[in-house]
Amino acid sequence: MELPELAARWMHALTSTAYIPLSHAEIEQALLDSLVELPESPESVADRLVSLHATGPDSLRATIEVLFPTFELPLLARLSSAYAHYMRMDAFDQQEQIKVAIVRAKQRVERTLKVSQARFQEVFASSALGIVIIDFDGRCVEANDTLAEIVGLRAGTELIGRELIDFFHPEDRAALAGSYRKVRAGHVDRFRDQRKLIREDGEPVWVHLAASLLRDADGEPTHHVTMVEDISELHLLQRSLDHQLLHDSLTGLSNRQHFITQVERRLGNDAITLYHLGLDAFSVVNNGLGHETGDKLLKIVASRLGTLAAEKKALVARIGGDEFAMMTISDHVTTTVEEIQATLAEATFVDDHGIALSASIGVVDRPPAFVTAAELMRCANAALRQAKARGKRQWALHDPHDDARRRGKYALAASMPGAWEHGELEIVYAPVHDLETREVLGVVARLHWDDLSHNDTMALADSTGLSLPIGKWLLREACAQAAGWVAEFGDRAPTLHITLGALQSRDEDLVADVKRALDETGLPAERLRIALDISSVLAGDDNAVVLHDSGIVTALDGFRGGHDELAVLTEVPVRTVITRAPAPSPESPLRQAMRDLITTVHSFGVRFGVDEVRTLSDAEHWRSIGADGVIGLLPALSAAEVTKLLTTAASPPPAAS
Amino acid sequence: MSERLSWVPEGLDTGKPSAARLYDYLLGGGHNFAADRALAEKFLQAQPNARTIARLNRAFLRRAVLFMMDNGIRQFLDLGSGIPTVGNVHEIAQKADPDTRVVYVDFEEVAVAHSQLILEGDAHATIIQEDMTKPVTVLKAAQESDLIDFTQPVGVLTVGVFHFVPPEADPRAVVATYRDAVPSGSYLAFSQFTQDLQPEEMAGVVEVMKKSQNPMFPRTKQEIEGLFDGFDVVEPGIVPLPLWRPEGTNTDDPDKAGIYAAVGRKA
Repeated sequence: MELPELAARWMHALTSTAYIPLSHAEIEQALLDSLVELPESPESVADRLVSLHATGPDSLRATIEVLFPTFELPLLARLSSAYAHYMRMDAFDQQEQIKVAIVRAKQRVERTLKVSQARFQEVFASSALGIVIIDFDGRCVEANDTLAEIVGLRAGTELIGRELIDFFHPEDRAALAGSYRKVRAGHVDRFRDQRKLIREDGEPVWVHLAASLLRDADGEPTHHVTMVEDISELHLLQRSLDHQLLHDSLTGLSNRQHFITQVERRLGNDAITLYHLGLDAFSVVNNGLGHETGDKLLKIVASRLGTLAAEKKALVARIGGDEFAMMTISDHVTTTVEEIQATLAEATFVDDHGIALSASIGVVDRPPAFVTAAELMRCANAALRQAKARGKRQWALHDPHDDARRRGKYALAASMPGAWEHGELEIVYAPVHDLETREVLGVVARLHWDDLSHNDTMALADSTGLSLPIGKWLLREACAQAAGWVAEFGDRAPTLHITLGALQSRDEDLVADVKRALDETGLPAERLRIALDISSVLAGDDNAVVLHDSGIVTALDGFRGGHDELAVLTEVPVRTVITRAPAPSPESPLRQAMRDLITTVHSFGVRFGVDEVRTLSDAEHWRSIGADGVIGLLPALSAAEVTKLLTTAASPPPAAS
Repeated sequence: MSERLSWVPEGLDTGKPSAARLYDYLLGGGHNFAADRALAEKFLQAQPNARTIARLNRAFLRRAVLFMMDNGIRQFLDLGSGIPTVGNVHEIAQKADPDTRVVYVDFEEVAVAHSQLILEGDAHATIIQEDMTKPVTVLKAAQESDLIDFTQPVGVLTVGVFHFVPPEADPRAVVATYRDAVPSGSYLAFSQFTQDLQPEEMAGVVEVMKKSQNPMFPRTKQEIEGLFDGFDVVEPGIVPLPLWRPEGTNTDDPDKAGIYAAVGRKA
């Protein structure tokens, strides 16, 4: 038989014995190749047959039937042996592969199991509920420590092997057993019940029970799981203690702590009003009629205030012996005060004694959000003291002066950027006087805004982050003004002094800013004095040195005479230190010390200046111990006023002489 | 938690036979265990032609895949793919076009692990471990695999698998959900055991499989027609395995093929 015809027959025979995932043509070609190869190497043909997956139970028989007698038996025997060998190898490979798959699948399942077990374990161990797993004989298989605690044992493990039902009251056992049976039989998914457990020590414990079924992977019920919640009095007492921590035991109202917490919660969100009530002449009741009557009276007051508070959706608390507090929201103070007095004034009969009640009331109305609740309570208390001082049945609003100042400061800070933008910040010039010659040495450029001093303005600017831009603006504007004076008045023009804030003193752009201001305005460098905040030099900043090297005379502002500050004077080339201190009058014990300090400063070749010197006598005190210059003797002037003075006066202003 | 708790699921039990490994054994594969082979012997007693049926079913899968590829399909969703055995979809398809994408879906742990082994390094094929009777989850996972573009026609394969889907799983709704997720021009290849052919043997097989993890639910031709709702069944319609577009002349006895096969095109 021709080989192609044989191959075709072989193909038909093989494909009915095994699934070969190739087209008939492909199979036929592979088999034709095999026929050519067969006499030389029956082994490789066997290998190919197995690779093709011609491995059905009848594949070899079909092969032999087709090939015999075209090929001889010994050759076919070799083919058969090799075929068996490759089949074995193939089976091994497949077994190996499925084994790896099994191992992987097992690992994955185990991982998942571990995670879910860990989760379960966490719930089991940390639950506030007692949890127990019981087999169908009623024995505990697993129980958590919470349950052990409920039944009076130390650990969940002590429950293992014991019957849960033994912990129930004998009268309950039959009913409970019935409930468990119903769950197991599938009549109900779970049961809930409230029963009495008998603890190990014989004490009864009321518990909530919830029991359901656990099933295995095939869905067959295997165990009961029971959750147990302790609702005994001991348990409830804990809750009650929590309540007592927040409430006054006599009246049941909130106590001081609770009240403060509530105020804190509201503060800053709502317009609250705080009323601090002190009962008038309560000690008279206590002393005259006894404490029991006093307590009854307090309860009556508490109940009336409670009713009023409920109507007004207010919070009321007893915060001291005869003191109460009320917090209202968006309230009208005088109305509330009248309501409080009215409810207290209703005739009160305690143990047949008719008692007239009134209260003194301290009020804090709509405090700013940034005060603390404790501060508020102090304010209210202060107002109450004021009210009491005026007599009975009085009320007083907390004097908000301090708060207003603080509030004003915040408001100012908030409005500063706008004010600056709109040119409301002004630069004024305060004369610097030489104490020896009484001449005006120059002017200090200062900020003036809305009645605020330079320092307050700078402090505000600091708090808004504006101090740097404002400082740069001041530098530039003042230099321009000073240059104008130089151009107009020549040598008579005042030397410009600029005192920088702490931030600007440390600013790394400072030297460049100063140079640019001089370049752009044409102010000669010797006409400018820069006073740096001393903190910058103490912090090791080198702006003072660089300015000096650039030919600008520098001073240090804020000098207090400390050792570190003196040390700095030996290293940093400054002309002057500027201090602020009370004037050393002849009676002052510090006079000698101050004189020594000035001597020391002078010994370093540094002049001693004093800011905020307001009177001539203070200036004289400073002069007498050696100070060189003062600022503040004359009020600061606007640039126009300075110009006018320079124009009209051929010599320094008369007041300075 | 301690090992004492027998209610913790064991997860994997190779002592229990699986239909996927039984099929592998009938195809002459070695990816099976004693329990699978024992069940296969019982299966063979009830249906002596089982090996041939397995071979014919596998051959139908190949012809159906190639038919779909001839009609432009380049992405396949193989539902209930089972143990990777001889002539897997990605091998057949990628031989014709290496860029063809295949997503296998099976729920059985070992089948999934085995498929992952086979598919390691094939960027165009993956296996999703999901229950094919939960099409919403399957489709979501298939979407997330990024291998199937649901705006392009998809070849959905349920070959030799729907006889494991019980009536209570609502087979019509299952097929309909897959159908609605793919664009028109998509194909469904379907084959499953029927009691229309060799009813006695079929009853025997149902009996054998009843107590296994994979009980079987043969369906009549009429029931299968219902599953193709929304599809145009391509020629030659719903026919015994060997009669579906045979390669060359069919030599197998269609009356002993046990399984109906069909391919539908979504209208």
